[in-house]
Amino acid sequence: MLTIKNLHACVEQKNILNGLNLNIKPGEVHAIMGPNGAGKSTLGYVLSGREGYEVLDGQVDFQGHNLLEMTIEERARKGLFLAFQYPIEIPGVSNMEFMKESVNAMRQHRGEERLTAAEFLKKAKEICKQVQLPLDFLKRGVNEGFSGGEKKRNEIMQMILLEPSLCILDESDSGLDVDALQIVANGVNSQRDGKRSFIVITHYQRLLDYIEPDFVHILANGKVVKTGDASLAKQVEKEGYAFLGLDNSEEVTA
Amino acid sequence: MTTQIDQALSRTYDAGFISDIESETFAVGLNEDVIRRISAMKNEPEWMIEWRLRAYRNWLTMEEPEWAHVQYPKIDFQAISYYSAPKSMKDKPKSLDEVDPELLRVYEKLGIPLYEQEMLAGVAVDVVFDSVSVVTTFREKLKEAGVIFCPISEAIQTYPELVKKYLGSVVPRSDNYFAALNSAVFTDGSFVYIPKGVRCPMELSTYFRINEQNTGQFERTLIIADEGSFVSYLEGCTAPQRDENQLHAAVVELVAMDDAQIKYSTVQNWYPGDENGKGGIYNFVTKRGICHTNAKVSWTQVETGSAITWKYPSCVLKGDNSIGEFYSVALTRGRQQADTGTKMIHLGKNTKSTIISKGISAGHSNNTYRGLVHMGSKADGARNFTQCDSLLIGDLCGAHTFPYIESRNPTAKVEHEATTSKVGDDQLFLCQQRGLDAEKAVSMIVNGFCKEVFKELPMEFAVEAGKLLEISLEGSVG
Amino acid sequence: MTWLQQVIHRGQAMNDWLSPVRSQALEALRNTTWPTRRTESWKYTSLAALEQLKLTATEPATQPSIDAIAGLNSLDLVFINGELQTDVNSLSLPAGLHINNLQSASAVQRVIATSMFAQIKPKRHLFGLVNDALANDVLFIDIDNGSHIVQPIRIVSLSTDGHESHHRVLVRIGNEAKASIIEQTQGEHTSLSTGFTEFDLGQQAYLEHYRLAMHTHQAIYFGGCHFCLHHNAELNSTFIGYGSQLSRTDIDIIHNGEHAKAKLNAVYLLGESEHINLHSTIEHAKPHGTTEENVRGIVGDKASAVFNGRIHIHRGAQKTQAALNNRNLLLSRRGQINTKPELEIYADDVQCAHGATVAEITDEALYYLRSRGISRSQALVMLNFGFIQELINQMPNQQLAKWLEPQLRARFKEMEVR
Ligand SMILES: Nc1ncnc2c1ncn2[C@@H]1O[C@H](COP(=O)(O)OP(=O)(O)O)[C@@H](O)[C@H]1O
Ligand SMILES: [Mg+2]
Repeated sequence: MLTIKNLHACVEQKNILNGLNLNIKPGEVHAIMGPNGAGKSTLGYVLSGREGYEVLDGQVDFQGHNLLEMTIEERARKGLFLAFQYPIEIPGVSNMEFMKESVNAMRQHRGEERLTAAEFLKKAKEICKQVQLPLDFLKRGVNEGFSGGEKKRNEIMQMILLEPSLCILDESDSGLDVDALQIVANGVNSQRDGKRSFIVITHYQRLLDYIEPDFVHILANGKVVKTGDASLAKQVEKEGYAFLGLDNSEEVTA
Repeated sequence: MTTQIDQALSRTYDAGFISDIESETFAVGLNEDVIRRISAMKNEPEWMIEWRLRAYRNWLTMEEPEWAHVQYPKIDFQAISYYSAPKSMKDKPKSLDEVDPELLRVYEKLGIPLYEQEMLAGVAVDVVFDSVSVVTTFREKLKEAGVIFCPISEAIQTYPELVKKYLGSVVPRSDNYFAALNSAVFTDGSFVYIPKGVRCPMELSTYFRINEQNTGQFERTLIIADEGSFVSYLEGCTAPQRDENQLHAAVVELVAMDDAQIKYSTVQNWYPGDENGKGGIYNFVTKRGICHTNAKVSWTQVETGSAITWKYPSCVLKGDNSIGEFYSVALTRGRQQADTGTKMIHLGKNTKSTIISKGISAGHSNNTYRGLVHMGSKADGARNFTQCDSLLIGDLCGAHTFPYIESRNPTAKVEHEATTSKVGDDQLFLCQQRGLDAEKAVSMIVNGFCKEVFKELPMEFAVEAGKLLEISLEGSVG
Repeated sequence: MTWLQQVIHRGQAMNDWLSPVRSQALEALRNTTWPTRRTESWKYTSLAALEQLKLTATEPATQPSIDAIAGLNSLDLVFINGELQTDVNSLSLPAGLHINNLQSASAVQRVIATSMFAQIKPKRHLFGLVNDALANDVLFIDIDNGSHIVQPIRIVSLSTDGHESHHRVLVRIGNEAKASIIEQTQGEHTSLSTGFTEFDLGQQAYLEHYRLAMHTHQAIYFGGCHFCLHHNAELNSTFIGYGSQLSRTDIDIIHNGEHAKAKLNAVYLLGESEHINLHSTIEHAKPHGTTEENVRGIVGDKASAVFNGRIHIHRGAQKTQAALNNRNLLLSRRGQINTKPELEIYADDVQCAHGATVAEITDEALYYLRSRGISRSQALVMLNFGFIQELINQMPNQQLAKWLEPQLRARFKEMEVR
């Protein structure tokens, strides 16, 4: 699904990713943990092609394509989805219009017919129910005046709607109450079909209680410093990152 | 409560005394002959006379601007004397010891004890009294660093190449009506040159004083900061209390070469006239700086004086990545009228400008912010942020905001905000309830309102500015 | 003869019951100095196109027809080239609503009309004076005290190729009366039109108002909406303007009674080498008034927009609350935006603020849309539309908004996005 080799990237002349490697097969769930500022969000941005994030070195293969050569929308249409840590507000553009256009962009890419307004609405309503957002959210501006939890659920809603092949969830659990956490987790689990892969960026074991990861990676100073199974997350939860002996640029080999 | 504030915005102007200094003053009137005589008094070379005369001829064809939000009777330019100098200046003093003690006393009275400034504050001072520079301190020490700081009349003699190259390069002779007049008749002012890579070792400052009756003051300041240099320059002004209006039409030109920085601070306290609007200085000033690549020009002004203020310290951001700043507090009271602001002309890529303007109106005064932000078609990625706040004290004054925004570049970004408020009764009540008297409370609130600007002033000046505001507001509350 | 001299010449020949009031305008025009770029209110707008204008009227192959707006059920009044086409005598009007024109007005209505004509519209508008002098026809809408006219009144003014037209509307809304008025002006090809409307809102009256100035590129248009608000009156007005070769609209709102409320939303959308000049002036002459004004513009290609938004708080107009917000998007390197929000304040116990920005669509928003698979160009159209959609959504008449939406979308497609 996704192979990252020796990825180096910088923002505003600051090196953030420093030789990151990651290999994800179809159907796998990878959790990424790591201290604040480690470069977790940056990884998501680089993979999705955000401007201002410059790749200095390395290769990324996504389903047999050179990911780094594609535009933002090509990556999305090929099935890469990023649920934002801080979803962006766009007043004036309705959530409905936004999602309809994106669904249809995906469909067009796959050579399918555009959904009619009615078909789309039916689908959108179902998912609204699933993530427990009231219907009038569809009419409001994209993320405009949404609470933190509502924004995160809106991201999950888009994920379900767009049916991507690789989902990157950037702290989709941060700032959620227990109920909202379950909604997000259930949303994710409903999409697990053995083919779709997930990268789950999180600080908390509690999300991983719901979404069992196949691998857990610790990201620090822009690279993966330790990889393990689900138990690694539990250890982090208990002991913090201290046991890794991380300070500044020290590298820990597993 | 508001009537309390309204009451007696009258106060005495501390700097309003008249000094009995024997002067040599031209008869009133303006013609080519007068200009030749000014030039002769200064022993100027031929090119300078030519320059002045061309400015004068230009001026004759120009019209006095009327767009400003100020009203005043037509100025009779033939009723003004264009030159006045203390007699004792015939043989120019070389140091403070040689300065007429009477003059020194004047400055002491103004709170600018020159000796002290020299000894304690470590600030180099150029003092301009009516039409001439009377003394410049610390020149030797500055010379060691390669810094030139002298009266412009002297620079014309000593550094003609520099003057020729830069005089009128930022504010052209016929830039506007008052600049043209100044170019024709300017008498003195300061000249500063900071060589490449030099950080000027001390603050430079000029004090301007109008003393003689019926005289105008037309000073000209030229500051050149060569590549990578830095200078901080302070300017203060006072004038005696007289019943008739006096004209002050200055020009200040700043040249910031690549990577250079100029910080220019003004505390303007010309005589504002009495509470009925009688007398006071007409202050028509053109100030402009040009910024080359990576350069920065920062204007900070505290304007409390003058009957009329017409002043727009501006920045031409010509070089890429250059920065312009304008921080202003303008306080008007009595019958004062101020129309002041700035122009930020963004020409280079990634140029940035910040404008913070605080206007305080009291009494029957009118206080106007007028500004221009221009984003040229090549100013890719340029940014401007402007914040204009007005505070009204009493219901007989006016506060106005006229910002012009022109954008020609889709990647440039301009943000302008303006608000108006008054000293709230509840704010006053709170302060009084905590034991402050109303007057102190108002001055506290006003000071708070101006904080963003005061923090840009050099230490000594910030204190002075704060005091000035306090005095200005004295008696403003019952 | 200059253009202005011709206007005066033609104005002198007008002979109807408005002649006494027209002659005042002619007098003012005689004393007018023709504006240049040095004239403050024309600083960014050249009148060269008008000075050089040569009109050759061509008769349209088919009589232009004005389509009804679906679902709006409006009472339509149509001017073509300045002549009122609707027979006002044959209209079946709800009780309390009276509509007349130059010919049909009764003696009493003539008195009311002459007392309103050119009274609310400030004398400083040059082309307002031209309209005073030359208005071919005058529509006079009078609503009785206490009448709530539910049916929207739609006034369409169309200028066809080669024509010059001047239409005028006077609207009096009685005390406690309510009305909804839509003014739609369209100019085709090379045409010159002026259209000025004066509104008098009685005590506690409510007016919902729309001015849609949708001209095509070659048209020259000078328009004005002038509102006088009495005690407790409320105005909710929306302006939508396309640019054209030369286009200027002046909106004046005068708070002439205490506790009046005004909301003004304005949008301008420009492409090609169109120009628009929009001036709004809010006069708070009485205390306790509120004004909320939102103006947004998008300028593409070689177009240029000028906005001047003045708020003037008169001495004694205490407790006024007035806010103006102007936001602009400049899409092209060849375009221009000139904006000047102005505050002039003579009362201390007021809350006033204005803000103006010129920017481009944020990269962040663009990225978000693209990360969901939407193409860059499509995302830009969506974001641009979203920028003005916020104001369109605030239109009280959503039926009208629905009709407008596809037209605005089509307009965006025309507005060459970088
Ligand atoms: N636009 C930016 N400009 C400068 N530094 C940035 C920018 N974005 C992120 N960074 C820096 O990059 C580092 C990694 O950030 P991020 O990827 O958000 O970390 P994480 O998500 O792991 O907390 C941090 O030190 C952050 O401050
Ligand atoms: Mg993060």
